[in-house]
Amino acid sequence: MPLEVKLLGTAHTSKHRREQVVVANRTIANRRNKFLSRSLGWFFLAAVTLAVSSPLQAVTYEVGGCKTGKSYVNFTTISLAVIGVPAGSKIEVCPGVYPEQVTITQPLTLQGITFNNSGRAIIVINPNGVLTSNVTSITGESLYAQVLVQNVNPPGAVNITGITIDGAGGNAGCSMTQGVVGVFYASGTTGTVNESTVRNQQSSGCGYGVWLENGADPAQTITVENSSFHNIDAAGINAVSDQTPPTLSATIQGNFLYNASFGIATQGINGAVTGNFTTGGSEGISVALTPGAITISGNVAADTGDGIVLGGGATAESNKISNTLLGFGPSGGVPGPLIQNNVVMNAGTGFAPVCAAGTITKNVFNDLQTGFEEALQSPTGNTLYNVDTIQTNPCP
Amino acid sequence: MSRDRAWFFLAMVTLAGSASLHALNYEVGGCKTGKSYVNFTTISAAVSGVPAGSTIQVCPGVYPEQVTISQPLTLKGITFNNSSRSVITINNPTGAPLAPNVTSIEAGPVYAQVLVQNVIPLGPVNIIGITVDGTGGGAGCPTLAGIFYASGTSGTVNEVATRHQLTPGCFLASGNGIWAENGAGPNQTITVENSSVHDFDSTGIQAISEQFPSTLTATIKGNFASNFVDVTVQHDRAQGIQNIGATSAITDNFITSGSGNTPSTANLFGVISYPDANDDEGNVITASGNTVADLYGYAITSQQFGDTAKSNKLSNVYAGLVVFVAVVESNTVMNTSQGYVFNASNPQCASEGTISGNVVNDSSLAFFGLPLVQIQKNQVDNDDVVQMSPQCP
Repeated sequence: MPLEVKLLGTAHTSKHRREQVVVANRTIANRRNKFLSRSLGWFFLAAVTLAVSSPLQAVTYEVGGCKTGKSYVNFTTISLAVIGVPAGSKIEVCPGVYPEQVTITQPLTLQGITFNNSGRAIIVINPNGVLTSNVTSITGESLYAQVLVQNVNPPGAVNITGITIDGAGGNAGCSMTQGVVGVFYASGTTGTVNESTVRNQQSSGCGYGVWLENGADPAQTITVENSSFHNIDAAGINAVSDQTPPTLSATIQGNFLYNASFGIATQGINGAVTGNFTTGGSEGISVALTPGAITISGNVAADTGDGIVLGGGATAESNKISNTLLGFGPSGGVPGPLIQNNVVMNAGTGFAPVCAAGTITKNVFNDLQTGFEEALQSPTGNTLYNVDTIQTNPCP
Repeated sequence: MSRDRAWFFLAMVTLAGSASLHALNYEVGGCKTGKSYVNFTTISAAVSGVPAGSTIQVCPGVYPEQVTISQPLTLKGITFNNSSRSVITINNPTGAPLAPNVTSIEAGPVYAQVLVQNVIPLGPVNIIGITVDGTGGGAGCPTLAGIFYASGTSGTVNEVATRHQLTPGCFLASGNGIWAENGAGPNQTITVENSSVHDFDSTGIQAISEQFPSTLTATIKGNFASNFVDVTVQHDRAQGIQNIGATSAITDNFITSGSGNTPSTANLFGVISYPDANDDEGNVITASGNTVADLYGYAITSQQFGDTAKSNKLSNVYAGLVVFVAVVESNTVMNTSQGYVFNASNPQCASEGTISGNVVNDSSLAFFGLPLVQIQKNQVDNDDVVQMSPQCP
């Protein structure tokens, strides 16, 4: 703490000078390593390496200028940092506003930090920039990604922690060539988004919070967890694979999504959607095209049109749905979903499969206008309280 | 031979007789008939006509009546003919002002749609799978309650729905879903669980005791409270679950005020706990595992020393937690438009209570009035301001 206070005075260093310092520090480090390896025996080298490894490891990469001093390598923009650090580094991002489009092409961790009574590092749309798309999804949409993770070399995880990505002012329109994404993990990438906030991706109906995809082998694993998503006019979290079997396994857990048109939308992936909390919008969780195995469990969907829409081989269990027009709906596919041990309260209709296959059992429905609409056969093993009409329009 | 036959017949008759005695069912609404059923046309006639301790099955249908239960029994909605909704509604075709039928220890005269009072012999009154609809119950602006357990009563409310307890156009909001209270006398235990409580303008579920120590032990769990609708002149406050001086466990409930319900000021509360009118301290609540969202107001508020708030999830609310001296642990607070874990008793940065292991993500302001050493026991991410000025050391 006293160290930080003492060093605050150097924060006025110009951007240019700070970059020079960075280069100088790295050069010194490199020279020292060369000297050691050439002139000392292995045993001695090992001992010295142990001794000097702690100051070397203590080099911290930082953006924004809140942390300075010998142990810090400073960058003025996130974009400069993500290309300027060694692969696998952690970059600490000071609280502040960063009007930039960030492309990450090497494994690293981008972490927002707390300084001087603020903990919000925000990546925003550059007000002087042009919203030209920088990535094309495997499903064909050209999109403007605020943070793009693509062509990561060497392969490795890109992690984003404690960062806010705000899409305000980024209405790029809505078509196959227009749309905005907060964070885009392109094919072949992997990593974790944790404790982040993604908001205001409003693009005339083509705004996405986080987009994860993989369109080829090998399979990738991506996690999105403990993050806050709100005011997004397409999907809060969108995860896609177009391969059979799927090459994307997504873990989507502990996120809070509010007022996203679709809270969580998945298409053709494996994985688990667990313990998320989605309210508002028109659909809580939408699971389409499931040639693989995906489990939707322990989620809450409330104050929305459709709670959870799923099909194929998906499983939904122990979810809570409330104050919706529909509890569970269909997205097609065989063998049809398994829906069990869920609670649906205060809804228009509990389960409306539109004559698609599926098993729905051991659920509790309370306070519904209609229990089952267009079900193939009368579902059994559920408990229904306060339901005006238990079954309507049964399928032949 | 004939003697053997006589014994045989006697045995058969006895069996048949005892079977029908055991199978005697009490039923309202006429969907179940036959020798084994005793039928009633109204719920009111049934609750006074059955032996104490009976179960009364209520057929799907609409029951426009005010029900007073004064003996232990179970009132249970059943499924018949493609419906499982038995609805008790307000019977007031002329729209005349409704006359109160009970006086609350806390809030004066109340019009209760289902009143549990003066239960003799002592024993639980259980209400299961019934809908209580208060449409039209705002006539004359009474304090309106869907279900009211008066002093000295006990029982369980399970898988019930209460709705439309609203007092539109009235000066003060006074529509309540489920209300349990106990004044002086032996301790009572009341459970409200797995119920859907929606479209009310005052309190969804509340437990009240004005005694110290508390005479009411309430368990409020697994309920879904939604759509607090602010329809009154005064824009009075409304709350999902309220505890006044009772000893309550408030767990795994799910409270949202609904999208787009933004009153003029942040006056909605998810869970709120007060001491009783005498300000006695120690009748504490434990609020754990609750989910509070989409509420323009305060998710969990404790104005009573010693309450516990643990492992709750709070999102898209004005403020997450407002507490005096409490144990506040492992809660997750996200997207609070003016959201903070708020230590209201300690603006001078005293270090009372335990506030640790909470995650505050995506707030404008994370903490108020909390020493830095305590803030550091929590996780803050994406918060514009970590602690309100003046900052604690």
